[in-house]
Amino acid sequence: MSELIKKAAALLESKSVQVVIGYGKGTGNRTRTIFATQVTECENLIFDSRCVQNLAVYLTKLEIKKLGKPAIVAPVPVLRSILQLAVENQITESDLVILGITSESELIDFESFAAIETFLTTHKIEIEEKYTKTIDAIKAMPVAERFAYWVKELESCFKCYACRGACPLCYCTRCTVDDNQPQWISVASHPLGNLEWHIMRAMHLAGRCTDCEACYNACPMGIPIHLLTKSMLQDVADNFGSYGPSLDKQNTLSSFKPDDKESFIR
Amino acid sequence: MSKIGVFICHCGENISATVDVARVAEAAGQLEGVAFSTDYKYMCSDPGQTMIKQAIKENGLNGVVVGSCSPRMHEPTFRKACQEAGLNPFMCEMANLREHCSWVHDKSEATTQKAIDLVRTLVEKVKLNKPLFSIQVPVTKTALVIGGGIAGIQASLDIASAGHQVILVEKDPSIGGHMSQLSETFPTLDCSQCILTPRMVEVAQHPNIKLMTYAELEKLEGSIGNFKATIRKKAKSIDEDLCNGCGTCTTKCPTKKIPSEFNTGLGMRTAIYVPFPQAVPNKPVIDKENCSYYQKGKCKVCEKVCPTGAIRFDQEDELVELEVGAVVIATGFDIMQPSGFPEYGYGKYKDVITGLQFERLASASGPTLGEIRRPSDGKIPEKIVFVACAGSRDPAKGVPYCSKICCMYTAKHAMLYQHKVHHGKSYIFYMDIRAAGKNYEEFVRRAIVEDEVNYIRGRVSKVYEENGKLIVKGVDTLLSAKPVEIEADMVVLASAAVANPGAEALAQKMHVSYDSYNFFSEAHPKLKPVETNTAGIFLAGACQAPKDIPETVSQASGAASKVIILFSKDELSRDPLIAVVNRSPAPVFSTCVGCFMCASACPYQAIGEELITNRQGKVIKKVAKVNPGLCQGCGTCVAFCRSKSIDIQGYSNEQMCAEVIALLNHE
Ligand SMILES: Cc1cc2nc3c(=O)[nH]c(=O)nc-3n(C[C@H](O)[C@H](O)[C@H](O)COP(=O)(O)OP(=O)(O)OC[C@H]3O[C@@H](n4cnc5c(N)ncnc54)[C@H](O)[C@@H]3O)c2cc1C
Ligand code: SF4
Ligand code: SF4
Repeated sequence: MSELIKKAAALLESKSVQVVIGYGKGTGNRTRTIFATQVTECENLIFDSRCVQNLAVYLTKLEIKKLGKPAIVAPVPVLRSILQLAVENQITESDLVILGITSESELIDFESFAAIETFLTTHKIEIEEKYTKTIDAIKAMPVAERFAYWVKELESCFKCYACRGACPLCYCTRCTVDDNQPQWISVASHPLGNLEWHIMRAMHLAGRCTDCEACYNACPMGIPIHLLTKSMLQDVADNFGSYGPSLDKQNTLSSFKPDDKESFIR
Repeated sequence: MSKIGVFICHCGENISATVDVARVAEAAGQLEGVAFSTDYKYMCSDPGQTMIKQAIKENGLNGVVVGSCSPRMHEPTFRKACQEAGLNPFMCEMANLREHCSWVHDKSEATTQKAIDLVRTLVEKVKLNKPLFSIQVPVTKTALVIGGGIAGIQASLDIASAGHQVILVEKDPSIGGHMSQLSETFPTLDCSQCILTPRMVEVAQHPNIKLMTYAELEKLEGSIGNFKATIRKKAKSIDEDLCNGCGTCTTKCPTKKIPSEFNTGLGMRTAIYVPFPQAVPNKPVIDKENCSYYQKGKCKVCEKVCPTGAIRFDQEDELVELEVGAVVIATGFDIMQPSGFPEYGYGKYKDVITGLQFERLASASGPTLGEIRRPSDGKIPEKIVFVACAGSRDPAKGVPYCSKICCMYTAKHAMLYQHKVHHGKSYIFYMDIRAAGKNYEEFVRRAIVEDEVNYIRGRVSKVYEENGKLIVKGVDTLLSAKPVEIEADMVVLASAAVANPGAEALAQKMHVSYDSYNFFSEAHPKLKPVETNTAGIFLAGACQAPKDIPETVSQASGAASKVIILFSKDELSRDPLIAVVNRSPAPVFSTCVGCFMCASACPYQAIGEELITNRQGKVIKKVAKVNPGLCQGCGTCVAFCRSKSIDIQGYSNEQMCAEVIALLNHE
């Protein structure tokens, strides 16, 4: 990825950005995020199939914002998140430089968020069959069995909130789960507390999640929480005809339309 | 420290017959934070209210729960009583022990227990209530009236005569609506135009009325007292200030064969036209769809002949923004096109016409100058059949309701026919004769007895043509279902009154509700017949349901009086039950993260931005801000805010949570 390194270095050199957020080599076979603020640090940038972490998560973090204007290495899942963050008014075009990477690992520039949206029309979110099969099987279970399934799956959750930390869309200043006046969600990691947390997490992502799987990748216990968001994604698409972020359509679930057929809203 | 007073009402026997009210009061007295609890026969009565006031003063209460009827009924009563005793009115809540409990359950222990639960939830809520203060909004004392039929005309005149400004918007080139098309009117048979046109002229001359014809509502924003309306003034292609209404253009226009809407297709008009001689304003418009110049680029005859040079081919639609304080919807109705029932042959046989077409035939200003001549050959029909309930009261045709006006106008039509064609024979097929109204039954009797109209109780199954006659096959159900067959020269269908085709779209633009037939819905069928569910928007006339002229005019005056009441004060006080975005100490300032999902969810466009700045004026955070003038307190935004940063005052998430927990924590 010498081209990526060159580009990143040039951006820092010309002071177009103050930091480059990208992937670097970690311990063992792992990768880690690097925040290059010096031209020399750019040499550590890599990009290969191991680079799955969603870097968009850093765009809204206060500590990173303090470093100045960023350039961000953005493979497809990151691009989706960037677009969703734009829809949610968290970033504007002048806030960042995007070092886009296609699924063929080629560099691609984006002049605007709209250009990202156009690009993504050829990279639609697709839920793999292995997941749809599992989701369908879970949905087919009788309620009690399904309940037991999730109680079991979530049993090992110890509420480290790594899923929340890894999700680019969990950028609230104060998460509802941290409220204690009143305590909406019980903090203990007993079955009820775990269910409450994960239902809330999934609901808060309804109509927003872009299926990057960062939550699942981050979970130290390997709990398949991405099944919840994937299923939700499917439901939203089935009922509202939308799949993935769109600047035009705005917020899939929270856009009032005057021709809404529900009478309670009028 | 909460010091709450609980007041349980018997509501005569409405509550006490099934709920053990004394036990509810006793149980409430045991609740933490409750300092006083009692029960009484009629809490809303004067002694009841006095009891509340005294208890507040004597016990220093800082919260009140009244367990009685629905807050829709007496919330203002009790809040006012609290206020008089020095308590903030919003510290008073009602537990609905009647509609939610005693009326829907039998007398039992469980019913009493439920009443106790309801009271407990409200006690928990009141503990979290905060004093709130009404919001004062200025009132723009200009009314927007949409639709210039008799309803809109009457409402405009009434409001204007009370000294307020009125903007009357009519989509057609002239005001007048259906009434201008009618010949004579039941139950007095006075000429419709003779009684209508003076009102139309009055509208045109009234200094407080601004008339906008050929115009439609594009957008309505804002709320009661302060709406912002955008009106699309369709291009008339003339300069109205220059045009003196001489009419030269309309006589010289070479495109003459356009079916006249005013004459229901029975007459023709030109491309530049004034719909009828008494039109207000009496200035033409160019119908672009049919004008040779607009369609083929050639002609401009009108421009050449116009003595004042008023023709403007390059005129474009204009959008006008208006500030108004109230809106009256008076967009009227339409008649169902009888092509929906092929068995009557409408559209196939020229001499099968609608009631509205008959009005034009009978009208002195109509295509036959008031002589009843059939459309096919201009002959005077010797035998005429009227079919009442053509479409109405027929679920299969999508109109299960009664159109209300047809029985009366059909009797009128038969009468007018008999008055004009003395030797003619008229028949009316009817289902029932509905003639409830002052002098209505007498009117129908006159048709039957004096004018010898033949009423046949039964329905028509088929109309077909044979040897130049229209064969009407029906049944007479009064004479043991005997089939009847009449050889008629003309058939008149009293086709159902239906909502305007544009009614649904208009309702959506204005956020008012409408029923399954697209008639606008009143806020309460009995007690709020001219209000809509949206404050500040009122209804007049047949846009709400089929209506005759007397009823339309009364409702229009009713709507006008509501507007005048609204305009009688300079400021309007609104309940402060609106959304607010929270604020917290630095460095957080507000938990709002500025995603503005709430803004796109808000049906009233009430949410905007607010920039939080530091002492140096640097923007630290962009957060949502609710405009208290626009917010209707629907709570949609609250449901969408993940960070729970937005709350409805008086119904906060925290209060709702306290209520739920109180219900769940059941001994
Ligand atoms: C055949 C027939 C005979 C009748 N005979 C009698 C009778 O003898 N006696 C009697 O009392 N009643 C009679 N009626 C009933 C009478 O016509 C109605 O009661 C009356 O017309 C209702 O008045 P309105 O103003 O509510 O509606 P309309 O007369 O329908 O007027 C509505 C006005 O609003 C305008 N408009 C519609 N949509 C918009 C929009 N989106 N923006 C702006 N303007 C709009 C229309 O162009 C129209 O000018 C008869 C009705 C029919 C069909
Ligand atoms: S109030 Fe809530 S929903 Fe609205 S912008 Fe703020 S965080 Fe988003
Ligand atoms: S409560 Fe919220 S969504 Fe409803 S009108 Fe007010 S600001 Fe809009």
